[in-house]
Amino acid sequence: MVEEDTLIPVEDYLKAGVHIGTQHKTNDMEDFIYKVRDDGLYIFDIGKTDQRIRTAARFLSRFDPSKILAVSAREYGKRPAELFAKIVGGKSSVGRMIPGMLTNPNLDHYIEPEIVVATDPIGDQQALKEANTSGIPVIALCDTNNMISNVDLVIPANNKGRKALSMVYWLLSRETVKEQERLADDEKFKYEVEDFEAEI
Amino acid sequence: MSDEDEIRCVSCGITITGPAFTSFPCPECGEVTIARCKNCRKQSNHYKCSECGFIGP
Ligand SMILES: [Zn+2]
Ligand SMILES: [Zn+2]
Ligand SMILES: [Zn+2]
Ligand SMILES: [Zn+2]
Repeated sequence: MVEEDTLIPVEDYLKAGVHIGTQHKTNDMEDFIYKVRDDGLYIFDIGKTDQRIRTAARFLSRFDPSKILAVSAREYGKRPAELFAKIVGGKSSVGRMIPGMLTNPNLDHYIEPEIVVATDPIGDQQALKEANTSGIPVIALCDTNNMISNVDLVIPANNKGRKALSMVYWLLSRETVKEQERLADDEKFKYEVEDFEAEI
Repeated sequence: MSDEDEIRCVSCGITITGPAFTSFPCPECGEVTIARCKNCRKQSNHYKCSECGFIGP
């Protein structure tokens, strides 16, 4: 892996802990894992994570921005998911999702997204279930211990750490607006990674 | 419906009918529509783009 080929220097990914998985791995996630560390933590191949962020951005840019829905039931993903949605022109649902939001047209909160971005297949299982029922494709940040059932595009990454989540969502936001042609290659992205960090 | 209109799951080849399947442009190249049946989604079976070779999920 050549450093110049990644969206940000590899050290920046490592500093944010994007590559650090858990002590468990699923068969589903094996393709994205580089090694197991002495302390038993599985480690992602950061080159693959980087590639998938690019692919996800390209994928997202093919949808009407207002039809993008980002979800995060878990605390550390709330701020990053909300800010991502705001920047790309989509919607977000953070915290506990209202049951039926994607399946029950009689609800006030019913919406019809065309693509869902989930922060964690476990925390966001309600969203995954409803997206499945409604046939909506799903992009999900998946850690080494996640099953990827009902996920259509995996972004392999630490989806538990505060800094890791802010880094992944910051990059995904930046790359998506580039792909949407709302940010030129030589133009500076006006958000900093820190803007995405959840308060402690 | 003509054979051209039939939607087939890219992973298992089954003809898809009814809800709960999904289809989307290939995440990588956008050239081909990828359809996944309910079962292949559930089992997280791989799919491959016939145009660019991208393998998901
Ligand atoms: Zn695999
Ligand atoms: Zn026919
Ligand atoms: Zn199938
Ligand atoms: Zn393709």
